[in-house]
Amino acid sequence: MITTPQITGYLSEHYAADANHTLAGYERAGGFKAVKKALKMKPADVADLVKESGLRGRGGAGFVAGLKWTFMPEKSDRMKVLVCNADESEPGSFKDRLIMERGPFAILEGILIAAWATGAEKTFIYVRGEYALPIERLRAAVDEMRAQGYLGTKLFGKKGFDHEIVVHSGAGAYICGEETGLLESLEGKKGQPRKKPPFPAQYGAFGLPTTVNNVETFAHVPYIVDRGVEWFRGFGTERSPGTTLFGVSGHVERPGLFELPLGTPLRELIEHAGGCRGGRAIKAVIPGGVSMPVLPPSDLDVGMADELLTERGTHLGTGGIMVMDETTCMVRAACVISYFFRDESCGQCTQCREGTGWINKICRRIEAGRGSDDDLALLDSVPAMMEGGTICAFADAAAWPIQGLMRHFRADFEAHVREQKCPFPESFEL
Amino acid sequence: MPRVKIDGTEYEVEDGRTILQALDDLGLLMNGVDVPHYCWHPKLPVDGSCRLCQVEVDDIPKLQIACNTPIRDGMEVRTQSDRVADARRGVMELLLVNHPLDCPICDQAGECKLQDYAFDYGVKHARTRDPRRPAQKAVELGPEIVFDQERCILCRRCVRFCRDVTGTAELGVFQRGDESLLETFPGKPLDNAYSMNVADICPVGALTTRDFRFKIRVWFLDDVDSVCNQCSNGCNISAGRAHNNVYRFTPRRNDDVNDTWMCDAGRLSYPALREGRLETAQLRGRSVAFNEAVAAAGAALRETREAGGRIVGIGSPFAPNEDLFTLRELLGAVGAGPGLFSVPLGAGDDILIKPEKAPNAAGARALGFVESGDVGDAALAIVLGHAAAGDALSSVENVILIDTHDSALASRAMVALPARTFAERAGTFTNHAKRVQRFLPFLEPRFEAWAEGDILTRLAASAGLDTDAWDVNAVSKRLSQEVPAFEGIDLDSVGDRGLELR
Amino acid sequence: MQPETRQKIEALFEQYPEKRGALLPAIYLVQAEQGWVSAEQAEALAELFDLKPIDVWEVLTFYNMFYTSPQGRHHVYVCTNLPCSLRGARGLLKQIEAHLGIRAGQTTEDGRVTLGHEECLGSCGTAPVLRVDGRYCENVDAQEARRLVDALE
Ligand SMILES: Cc1cc2nc3c(=O)[nH]c(=O)nc-3n(C[C@H](O)[C@H](O)[C@H](O)COP(=O)(O)O)c2cc1C
Ligand code: SF4
Ligand code: SF4
Ligand code: SF4
Ligand code: FES
Repeated sequence: MITTPQITGYLSEHYAADANHTLAGYERAGGFKAVKKALKMKPADVADLVKESGLRGRGGAGFVAGLKWTFMPEKSDRMKVLVCNADESEPGSFKDRLIMERGPFAILEGILIAAWATGAEKTFIYVRGEYALPIERLRAAVDEMRAQGYLGTKLFGKKGFDHEIVVHSGAGAYICGEETGLLESLEGKKGQPRKKPPFPAQYGAFGLPTTVNNVETFAHVPYIVDRGVEWFRGFGTERSPGTTLFGVSGHVERPGLFELPLGTPLRELIEHAGGCRGGRAIKAVIPGGVSMPVLPPSDLDVGMADELLTERGTHLGTGGIMVMDETTCMVRAACVISYFFRDESCGQCTQCREGTGWINKICRRIEAGRGSDDDLALLDSVPAMMEGGTICAFADAAAWPIQGLMRHFRADFEAHVREQKCPFPESFEL
Repeated sequence: MPRVKIDGTEYEVEDGRTILQALDDLGLLMNGVDVPHYCWHPKLPVDGSCRLCQVEVDDIPKLQIACNTPIRDGMEVRTQSDRVADARRGVMELLLVNHPLDCPICDQAGECKLQDYAFDYGVKHARTRDPRRPAQKAVELGPEIVFDQERCILCRRCVRFCRDVTGTAELGVFQRGDESLLETFPGKPLDNAYSMNVADICPVGALTTRDFRFKIRVWFLDDVDSVCNQCSNGCNISAGRAHNNVYRFTPRRNDDVNDTWMCDAGRLSYPALREGRLETAQLRGRSVAFNEAVAAAGAALRETREAGGRIVGIGSPFAPNEDLFTLRELLGAVGAGPGLFSVPLGAGDDILIKPEKAPNAAGARALGFVESGDVGDAALAIVLGHAAAGDALSSVENVILIDTHDSALASRAMVALPARTFAERAGTFTNHAKRVQRFLPFLEPRFEAWAEGDILTRLAASAGLDTDAWDVNAVSKRLSQEVPAFEGIDLDSVGDRGLELR
Repeated sequence: MQPETRQKIEALFEQYPEKRGALLPAIYLVQAEQGWVSAEQAEALAELFDLKPIDVWEVLTFYNMFYTSPQGRHHVYVCTNLPCSLRGARGLLKQIEAHLGIRAGQTTEDGRVTLGHEECLGSCGTAPVLRVDGRYCENVDAQEARRLVDALE
């Protein structure tokens, strides 16, 4: 079990402390100051402050958090609800897990501040079912807060400020990370994303007005409220302020998490992780979880902020960086990635259900040395047929990595077809 | 009322409608404006998953699905742009990745939307060399429905039908992704009073009825508008006929009566049109020529009148309005009281099925027939159909029975005359909600038989009454002129959707 | 469904605006009884939740962590997604397969272990990773994997 990032920042500086996941430990480190400060402000001012901080969602889509909060109806005769998205299942991402295990109270305090700002009375934390320890830690934290009077009614002495938090376990389905798939799952249904309209702020969990934010998004909030917009904007880029917990995995010497400002150059992150293993050369890097298109080594100078990655034809996603060295067969990578999407598609939309399976079959055929030029043409066109026309962004996420691989590593695919075998004997095993 | 521009033409539509609903309201969907669709069905909740109905809306960069996009005033929709055509082609090809294109051996061929749209969008097959997803063939989902899994495109129409229309929820989609699978709960069949509708709404050949499966290619059938006669709901149906045979009933859409549904019992009622018929005229249990029987009946009627015997008329809730009206006229002419009738009852539900198990009880009531079986001391009874006539008739010496089907009464009656079923003639029924609905002939009788009204008229002539030859159109006109409830309602004016009684 | 299970489930209802919200937690509780959920148990759940049996069955078959057929006494899952595969997870899985004499997706004949592979477990920084009876085992090599598997009763 990792207990602390290799590089810490304001989010993670206390993670190494034994008691940081207890209420006492968190308060010793200054916890729950921010919520008390927020309660002295008008709810709308709290939302404004978070909006001005420029905090962008850390769940992958990067939407400005404070702005999303303002979509909640101000007046509502129905209960308003927050959902904390702790489904973290994007391959390459493992940051939310650490936050939940080592710093659960920052999430919970962030939730209380968001509750004040939006008028929400209840929060569901939807944690992926495999995350046994995070669930245990969050439940213990919620129980401690309730015992301390930090949950329930008239919180921190504020009349009319009532809140309850329920920690809910998922059951193994990547698509429940998509916010409307999550809402369906929370309601005891298959996690099949909803068509929009209606949007969650109008019709969310159990039909109630709902805002969904990622674990890490909530965890930043107390620091922003406590230390101010200017301080927060001291980290990161103009459009992507703050730090994030970058995950570096794959062919590096020391994989792990690194809390660094957004915009940190990709090359620097890989160096923090000890560089490519065994002194080998880097062949490819996926910058933000497997859903994001791959980058060639010539792009390692890019800053890890979404607006900068977009210029290189990819995205920040969840900041999960996967490094592949020179031995790596990109067709094998395509097989693994396309298998994942085939396995995890919820199966509603035609393009996604049929396209994910088809792409995986084509990739496997090419890898097995039975591919043809027609198959290459299919890998050029099938992802485009899947893109942009489905209920949720999963189909895009399934199409993009294949498009990225074809853009930068078409030669690998062609070599397989030409030689009718995999020309990368040293590559990772399939 | 919002205005919307669709492919350059402006329309006014009702508030709160989606693009597909509006096109359907306007009667333009696939009938002027082509927006192909699989998961959307006018009578089911929106699913939005097949993604075939994508269109361009205003200048929104992404295509929008027409089935879930509400119309806003001033909206502009383009359904035929290159971008739209591309998207449709893509979806079509992907649908074919796991679909066997063995139309020549598929029972749906000819009414398959996959086949049609694939043809329209020039996608003959998917560019795939891969084996299709393994799937089961001819799974018996329930007593009436057979499922070919490999053809299923997972549009979930059948699932929504069982959830939202019948509330029985037998069908579901299990697993996920490309392993998604339509099935029933383990050990629980698809078995409800409306189960066969799923075969109609299945856009491909995945769900078929055991009854119709592989009986005949649909292009040999022609469909005739008719009305189910098994209960007083009067579901609108199409009778599929070929070579003077009927092969199936399917529901015909009428939003005021049966939406797009019918019950299984009604659907399976067509064999009775040919079975157990009264095929020859009977005189005291002996087969005789039709005219001979009419003459004998006419003579009995005349004699009874002359002798001052009481005459009673017994109508039937299975007889059409026109024939009941003829009976009413005849009873008037012979000085009999109002006709009697009774209605067989059974179970009903709050979907379609009504407890009155006959199509025209409301018509009989509107025409002054009285619900009673009391024939008193009648000497002669003119009876339409055996179904409603009980033992009461045993006291009546002369029974003149006009009937479509054979019965004990036919052999007991003085005279029994074969009548045509509703399949063999035109006419109208009035359903439980007082809606007068037309049916057209789709079979030729295979023996001498006439409409009840026609027979009554021959009987009257033979009894020496003043009559013209019976013609259903003329009678229908007269009915609409003489009976206030039917004012303006005749075979013509009811059209194919029916009209409510005044 | 055992009475205690039912009580535990009923106690969950109040946490959710609609009781259906408690379905996933309830399935976990029922599954704990014998390691999987039978059609009869699914029907009992449906009744308790005012649902149709099919609703419960759809949910059961959608999620990886619910089982509708008997499982081994222990579960061993190997993550085979890209970050773990890059660090040898698939070779590791093959070694465990050989060691147990079964393929992923199967259960040993004595019913001791069900072996499977899983998508990303969120432990990419400590790859390869196994999930053994719900517990994460990280940075696992072949020797460690064999030790873990052998320790299962
Ligand atoms: C296929 C798919 C999977 C997703 N998985 C996650 C996830 O595991 N965790 C997460 O926080 N957001 C995930 N998201 C993004 C959510 O839909 C949503 O945007 C996010 O939870 C909002 O929170 P944020 O604005 O704080 O990032 C996913 C989106 C898609 C399309
Ligand atoms: S895009 Fe894929 S995952 Fe998303 S709703 Fe459609 S089928 Fe499900
Ligand atoms: S069986 Fe037919 S109606 Fe049902 S989901 Fe499949 S294609 Fe649709
Ligand atoms: S509901 Fe009545 S009228 Fe409709 S099909 Fe069934 S029996 Fe016929
Ligand atoms: S008809 Fe609109 S998505 Fe299927």
